[in-house]
Amino acid sequence: MIETKDLSKRFGTKTAVDRLNLRIEAGEFFCFLGPNGAGKTTTIKLLTGLLKPTSGEAVIGGHDIQREHVAAKQLLGYIPDMPFLYEKLTGREFMRFVAGLYQVPEEIASIRTGELLDLFEIRDVGDQLIEDYSHGMRQKLSFASCFLHDPKVVVVDEPWVGLDPKNIRFVKNFLREKTRDGVTIFMSTHSLSVIEETADRIGIIHNGRLLHTGSLSEIKALSRNPGSLEDVFLELTNGEAVS
Amino acid sequence: MTPFGAAIWVKLRVAAHTIASVRHQSRLKVGVVSVAASLLWIGALIAFCVGLRWLQNFGLDPSGAGLNLGKLLMGSLLSVLMLALFLMLTFSNVLIAFSTFYRTRDMAYLMQSPLPVQSLFIARFVECVSFSSWASAYLGSPLILAYGLVTGASPMLYLAAALVFVPFVTIPAALGSMATMLLVRVFPMFKKWVFVAIGGCAVLAVFFYLRGKLMAGQDASQGMLSLVFDATTKTQSPFLPSHWAAHGILTAAAGRYTESIFDLMLLLANALFFSWVAMQLAARVFFPGWSALKGLDRQRVKPLDKGLLGKTDKLLAALPNPARVLIVKDIKLFWRDPTQWSQFLIFFGIMAVYIANLRNRSAMLDAEAYRTFIVSLNLGACSLITATLTSRFVYPLVSLEGQRFWLLGLAPLTFRQLIWQKYWLCVATTATFSMAIVTLSCIILRMEPLASFLSLYSIALVNLGLAGMSVGLGSLYPNFNEDNPARIVSGMGGTLNFLLSIGYIAAVVAGQTFMLQWKRLVGPGASMPYWWTFAGVVGFTAVLTAAATFIPMRLGLRNLEQMEF
Repeated sequence: MIETKDLSKRFGTKTAVDRLNLRIEAGEFFCFLGPNGAGKTTTIKLLTGLLKPTSGEAVIGGHDIQREHVAAKQLLGYIPDMPFLYEKLTGREFMRFVAGLYQVPEEIASIRTGELLDLFEIRDVGDQLIEDYSHGMRQKLSFASCFLHDPKVVVVDEPWVGLDPKNIRFVKNFLREKTRDGVTIFMSTHSLSVIEETADRIGIIHNGRLLHTGSLSEIKALSRNPGSLEDVFLELTNGEAVS
Repeated sequence: MTPFGAAIWVKLRVAAHTIASVRHQSRLKVGVVSVAASLLWIGALIAFCVGLRWLQNFGLDPSGAGLNLGKLLMGSLLSVLMLALFLMLTFSNVLIAFSTFYRTRDMAYLMQSPLPVQSLFIARFVECVSFSSWASAYLGSPLILAYGLVTGASPMLYLAAALVFVPFVTIPAALGSMATMLLVRVFPMFKKWVFVAIGGCAVLAVFFYLRGKLMAGQDASQGMLSLVFDATTKTQSPFLPSHWAAHGILTAAAGRYTESIFDLMLLLANALFFSWVAMQLAARVFFPGWSALKGLDRQRVKPLDKGLLGKTDKLLAALPNPARVLIVKDIKLFWRDPTQWSQFLIFFGIMAVYIANLRNRSAMLDAEAYRTFIVSLNLGACSLITATLTSRFVYPLVSLEGQRFWLLGLAPLTFRQLIWQKYWLCVATTATFSMAIVTLSCIILRMEPLASFLSLYSIALVNLGLAGMSVGLGSLYPNFNEDNPARIVSGMGGTLNFLLSIGYIAAVVAGQTFMLQWKRLVGPGASMPYWWTFAGVVGFTAVLTAAATFIPMRLGLRNLEQMEF
């Protein structure tokens, strides 16, 4: 469902993403890991079409995100780390707005809105202005709106900010559940415990280059002294020598 | 560095970086803005010179005989303009102080720093004064220069104007800041219905006041001069800072330095006194107000599909998505921000009251030349109000999507759909008001069908052209880092949009005025040259509007399509 071919992005003289080649299948939970400034967010923006690649291409569900962006975006859902929403709309109005953008039929949108607001426990505040929401409530609304058009590929950028432990657990299970329905999840996070619990495959990026991809056990096996994912990650990214 | 010094220093650094960033802007934009701003300044200087020269000879016949009232009027004029400026500055400072003291994002950070509230207030007060006074300096300088040139005043006039400027703009800033702090402190204590009642009373009071003033003016043709002198006398009260400023400048020009220095000292003492009072008030009410504002009961429930605003979805059901949801979203965001629509209503409300009262001046309006002239003026005024609205509210629309652009960028829609949706929404909104007012104006003035057609044609096209420039240039020069529309508008792109809008209006109104004044300027109407010129003016307006619409829209669309978020 997600494929990148020699995907590169340069900002002036700095190469943020360097010839990234990835293939993520339908129903796969792929976690993207890397130190600060490694190129994770740039990769996500390239995948979602918010940035243009310097070279190479990103393909979502068989559609090039740059050349066939309308078809590709119809399949795509995105949950940013900081959900900037329309403050002067209510949660329910925002859901209707998103449904209109993705041209979800009104009857279906109405049913799904109710279900998703229930699921993310924000039905009670659905008629309140978003500017009165807490950060966690905004994040939950962002999740709910993302799944309104039934995306086949969901890109998630560090979604845990503002969520309490109960909601973190819920979101993890929800995303996992979605992969069983065939949805591809591409998640960037620093939360190693979440990766250990959820990822089918992990990609480690450093200085814009994809160092390794593999399952949790395959990644751990890369270390000379296999330990926790944290130790392996630090060793691979030269963050710290593994004891 | 002291905490107070740090608070000032950081603003200076931000300002310096902003100025330095001009070199990274498009050279075309910087060039056009610089040239257009210079031309506007020169244009204002010429207009002031012509106007003042006419005023100077008021009452004299061509041979120079007669009672010269010019000198009397000239002296009063500066007081009138100073008072108007003083009132405008006071009002604008109320709004500026609210956004500077209470709505800036860094205030919460500064509030937790070891900075006394008074120091914090002064740091922000300086910002208010500088932010509110640059326009006064820009538009006031050609007036003072024109005054000096026309009257042949000594260089002391300019020196006095420069010296009185800072204390003069400080007083309204202090008054505006105090009003804001008191309002913020008092308003959270009231229930919603009290606001509505106060607002309603204020609107009614303004309406009846304006109506009374306009009704009183119906005898203007008989006693214009006495009315003018009556009005100007009231502006010269010795208790008004505007009078001290005007008097200080004029006495310096006349070589009466003792009086001038006295006025300057009076201004300075009052500026310091009001600043001190504002600082003391800040120490007592700023934090309680800020805290109350943050702690307002935020449970504003807006049930879906309830009320007129909630029904916009159903009312626009004929439109396809995503255009419909984009329009509904823009309407709701606009309506739920009263700082936006209240200004909109004030502008058009005043205009409507004025036009509704045109019938009271029937004695003057019997002459066709006067009527056609007034129709042109009305078209100009309506177009300028529309330009103010498009520059203030439509230009920032794309920028205000700002940090939410990820949502639109991700959606399966094209930027072409997005900007044309904003364009047609703008046209539909402004055309409703402006065309209604121009239609009313033509009916009341009993304009001939052809003249009415020309007026309506011009205002209809002006709506299209102004919307094209504002949406197009707003897309060409978006500022996604700023949430405050007032600051987006005051940037280079916003200034360029406003200047180009004025130029475009001037061209359209000039064409119409020429046709309406044909009989006076050229000769009898309904002749072949008349019809050829008429067709030329109609064609020229259409071509100019097409250019004003499609060129900025195309450039804006191209920019958005190439942009990265």
